[in-house]
Amino acid sequence: MEKAVIDELVTIFGQSNVLTDREDMIAYSYDAAPVEVEPEAVVFPTTTEQVSRLMKLAYRVEVPVTPRGQGSGLSGGSIPLKKGIVLCMDRMTKVIEFDPANRLISVEAGLTTSDIDPIAAEAGLFYPPDPGSVAFSTIGGNVAENAGGLRGLKYGVTKDYVKMLTVVLPQGDIVKLGSKCVKHVAGFNTELMFVGSEGLLGIITEVTLALLPIPKHRESALAIFNTLDDAAQTVSDIIAAGVTPSTMEFMDNATLNAIQNFKDCGLPRDAEAVLLIETDGEEHSAKAEMVIVQSQVEKNNSRDFKIAQSTEERDKLFAGRRVALNALASVRPNLILEDATVKRSVLPEMVRGIIAIAQKYNIQVGIFGHAGDGNLHPTFLIDQKDKEEMARCHKAVDELFQLAIDLDGTISGEHGIGLEKKPYLENQIGAAGIKILQDFKRMFDPKNLLNPGKMFDMPGESA
Amino acid sequence: MSTYIKTQQQLAEEHLLEAAKEFEKCMKCGKCRSVCPVFKEFGNELYVARGKNKLAEKIVSGDLQITDKLEQAINECLNCKTCSANCPAGVSPEHVVLRLRWYITTQKGLHYFKALIFRQLLWRKWPITIGCAVVALAQRLLFGIGPKNPVRHLFPLFGFAKRRNFPQLALRSAQSMYPEVNRSKTGETKMRIGYFTGCAGNLIYTNVAKSVVDILTGYGYEVVIPKKQKCNGTPVMANGDYEGARRLMQHNFDLFRKYDLDAIVVACSSCGMSLKKEIKVFVEDSPELQEFTGKVWDINEFIDKNIEIKPEDLGPLPYKVTYHDPCHMVRGQGIKEQPRNILKQIPGVEFKEMKNADTCCGSAGSYCITHYETSIKINDHKIKDIQDAGVDIVATGCPTCVMHIDDNLAQHHSNEKAKFVIELLADSLRAKGTVIR
Ligand SMILES: Cc1cc2nc3c(=O)[nH]c(=O)nc-3n(C[C@H](O)[C@H](O)[C@H](O)COP(=O)(O)OP(=O)(O)OC[C@H]3O[C@@H](n4cnc5c(N)ncnc54)[C@H](O)[C@@H]3O)c2cc1C
Ligand code: SF4
Ligand code: SF4
Repeated sequence: MEKAVIDELVTIFGQSNVLTDREDMIAYSYDAAPVEVEPEAVVFPTTTEQVSRLMKLAYRVEVPVTPRGQGSGLSGGSIPLKKGIVLCMDRMTKVIEFDPANRLISVEAGLTTSDIDPIAAEAGLFYPPDPGSVAFSTIGGNVAENAGGLRGLKYGVTKDYVKMLTVVLPQGDIVKLGSKCVKHVAGFNTELMFVGSEGLLGIITEVTLALLPIPKHRESALAIFNTLDDAAQTVSDIIAAGVTPSTMEFMDNATLNAIQNFKDCGLPRDAEAVLLIETDGEEHSAKAEMVIVQSQVEKNNSRDFKIAQSTEERDKLFAGRRVALNALASVRPNLILEDATVKRSVLPEMVRGIIAIAQKYNIQVGIFGHAGDGNLHPTFLIDQKDKEEMARCHKAVDELFQLAIDLDGTISGEHGIGLEKKPYLENQIGAAGIKILQDFKRMFDPKNLLNPGKMFDMPGESA
Repeated sequence: MSTYIKTQQQLAEEHLLEAAKEFEKCMKCGKCRSVCPVFKEFGNELYVARGKNKLAEKIVSGDLQITDKLEQAINECLNCKTCSANCPAGVSPEHVVLRLRWYITTQKGLHYFKALIFRQLLWRKWPITIGCAVVALAQRLLFGIGPKNPVRHLFPLFGFAKRRNFPQLALRSAQSMYPEVNRSKTGETKMRIGYFTGCAGNLIYTNVAKSVVDILTGYGYEVVIPKKQKCNGTPVMANGDYEGARRLMQHNFDLFRKYDLDAIVVACSSCGMSLKKEIKVFVEDSPELQEFTGKVWDINEFIDKNIEIKPEDLGPLPYKVTYHDPCHMVRGQGIKEQPRNILKQIPGVEFKEMKNADTCCGSAGSYCITHYETSIKINDHKIKDIQDAGVDIVATGCPTCVMHIDDNLAQHHSNEKAKFVIELLADSLRAKGTVIR
C-alpha cells in the first residue's frame, strides 16, 4: 500500500491504531474458517467519525476495506480477500446508554456480546441471543451475521433484538436507522437490511438492543432415546402440545460416544439420540410445561428421562453438551463444523441423510445442534493434511448442502455465507435471488470496495 | 544419557516438530481472546494464543523468518496456561511459544548475558548464593528496602524498574541453615522426604523453608535437603535456553535419586510443575523418571493428603484471608482445594474467596523483570480483586506471585500482605506450641 495512504490512515486513527508490519498482517489474515489472506494495513477505530473518514479515503483511492469484529466467524467473512485494509472494530467497546425503563441498551459495535449481561442483570434483564461464541465475538459481528444460539426456538435470534443501528455507508455517509419505540413504521425497516449483511453494505458502529426480563425459574431435563425418529417425533410433539422450550438440544450417537471417550459425563453409548430440554418463566409455569414435556417424551418410548433437582444436577445433565465440540475435536486432528438448517418436522430425514452421506464418503461425522429450530451442526472429523480425505470431505459437504436445500431448508442457519458457502448460495436462492443481492450491493457500494468477493460475486467477476 | 544430548540441528528440527503438533490442532476459534491476560492488555491479535500459533505455523512453513517483532511477540507470554485450560481443541499454545523460543536460540545462539546467568552462575550456584548474601547485608546495613531506598535509582542499570519494590533477601540461605538430614521430632519416622527448596525458598523466603521443615519434622517425617540441588530450570527454559534447562533438570533428577526418598516436596508452584511435568520434555523417559515424577508433591497437596492436623494442634490467627491460585499450581498441577482446605482449618482465620482468584497475577517468573510495565498492568486487576475481598492477607503458594503482589500492593498503598499458606499454617501451629515449639 502506498505510503501516502498509510500516512492518511495514521492521521485519521493515530499511530497506535494503525498496523502495517508483516507479523501483524499475519495475525489479521484469518478467522475461524480455513482460509487466509494477509491485508496491507489494519486499523482500529474508536469513533464513528473515523470510520466515515476511512470510507471516504477508501473510495477516493479505491482500496478495499474489510470489517472485522473478533474474527470468530466460521464462514470467512472477515478475511480481506482482496487485501487492502482490515477495519477492526474491537476497540469500540463503550456502553453508550443503559435504559432499563424501556428495556434497551445502546452499545458500540465492538463490545463483546457477553459484556452486556452483567450490566443488564443489574436491572433484572438479559440479552437473549447466546451464540457459542458470546465471550469472544462482538455485537457488531453478531448483527452482521444475524447470530443465533441455544435459545433460538423460544427467544429468536439477533435480528429480533436489533432496534436501532448507526451505520457508516461505503461512501462514508453516517446514518441512524430504526427507532427505540416498540412500534414504528416511519419508512422502510432499513435497520434490518444490515442484519445479516456480513459487512457488505455498511459498517455498523452503534447498536441499540432490546432486552428481556430474566426468567424467574428454569427447569432442565435430559431425555434418552433408542431411535432417532422417537427423538424427532418428541420435538414435534412437544411443540404441538403448546410448549416452547427455551432450549432443546440434540446429540447423536457418534457425539455421545465422542463425549464419553473424552470425559465420562454419564451418557449412554448405545442410545441413538438424547435431547436436553429446558423450560423457563415463572416457577409454576416452567414446571407445568416440564410436566407436558415429560408426557410427550414418555409417549415416544424414551428410554430414560431425568429432571434436574438442583443446580448441580442441572450442570451434570449439561456437562456432556458443554464439552461436545471439545470431544469431537479430540477425535481427529481437525473438524469442519456446518450449520445446515431444516424445518424441525424433517429432522430425522436430515440426520439420517447426513449419516448416509458420511458413510458414502467414508468420513467420520458427529451431529449435535439446536433441535427445536432445526439448526443442526453436522461436524466432519478429518485430518487436513490428508489431501485425499479432504477431497472426500468436500464432496460430502456439497451433498450435505444439497440435502438441506432438497428438504426445503437452508445451507446456513447462523454462520453466514462469507467465502465458505459462496459457491452454494445460488443453488438455494437461484439466479434471481443472486441478482437482487447484487443490485442491493451496487446501490450501496458502486465501486465494490466494502468486503468485496464475499457471499456472491458481482457480475463479470469471479473468485 | 549421552544419546540425549542432541546437535543444534536436531534440536531445531525437534522444536519445530513439537510446536507443529500443537498448533496444527488449533481451530482458530478465537476463544483464547476471552481469557489471555497479555492479549487483554495489548488488544492486538498478534499477542493472543491464536496469533502465536499462526506465527509458529509461518515459521515452520518457512513463510516467515525470525524477526525482532516475532521475537517480541512470542516473548509476550506468561506461560500462565489460561489459554490451554480453556481451549476447546486441546492446544497448549504456551508450549508452542516455548518451542519457538528454544528454536530461535538454536538459530541465533543465546545472548551472552543469559548464557552467563543460566549456564555459569545458576549452574555453579555459589556466585548467586554469595551475591544474594552481599545484597542482603547491604539491604540491612546501608539502604533498606522501603520506598526511600536510594539504590532504587540504580535499578534501571540492571534492567529493573525504578519504582519496583524488592523483597528482603536472606542473610543466610536456607540450605546453609539446615543440615542435609533433619530428623523427625516425634520419635517415629513416617517417611523420608526430599525437600526441593527452589531458589526463592533458599535465598529469599527462608521462612517458607523453615515452615516446611518444622511442620514435616513436627509431624513425624524426616526431611532431607540435598546440598547440591540447583535451580529447577523454569526461568532458564522460559528464557529460551533449552540446553541450560536440560542440564539443570538432569542434575536434580540424578541428585535426588541418590537419596532413597519416599517423596519429594516443593513449596513453589513452578518448581512443582517442573519436577512433575516439564522435566519430561528434557530428561529421557525411563521407569526411573516415572518413579521420580510420581513422588513429587506440592507441600499443600502433601499436607492435605497425608497429615492429619488435629484442631487441638492449632492456635488462633486473627486474620481475614483470601487465596490467590498460582497458574502453575491451579492449571499446572490441578491444585485448587488443598491450600484452601488448610486455610479453612486454621482457627480464627476468616476465609473469603476473592473474584478471579485463578487469573494470572502477571508475575510469571522472569516476565515481571523483562516486561515490568505490562506485568504491573496485569497485576492491577489482581490488586483490585484483593482490595474488594476486604482481607488482611492474600495467601498463595508461589514466590514470584508473593513478590509481585507485595510490590504492587505497596505501590497502591494498600495494607494487605501476601503470604504463603504454609507460613500461616506454621504460625498457627506455633501459636499453640504442641507440634512446633
Ligand atoms: C466456537 C464457536 C462457536 C460459535 N457459535 C455460534 C453460534 O452458536 N451461533 C452463531 O450464530 N454463530 C456462532 N459462531 C460464529 C461466530 O462467532 C459469529 O458469526 C459471530 O457473530 C462473529 O462475530 P465476530 O465479532 O467474531 O465477527 P467476525 O468474525 O470478525 O466477522 C464476521 C462478519 O461480520 C462482519 N462484521 C464484523 N463486525 C462488523 C461491523 N461492526 N459492521 C459490519 N460488519 C461487521 C465481518 O466483515 C464479517 O463478514 C461460533 C463461532 C465459533 C468459533
Ligand atoms: S482457543 Fe485453542 S483452538 Fe481456539 S484459537 Fe485459541 S488456541 Fe486455537
Ligand atoms: S500462556 Fe497465558 S499469556 Fe501465554 S498465550 Fe496462553 S493465556 Fe496468553
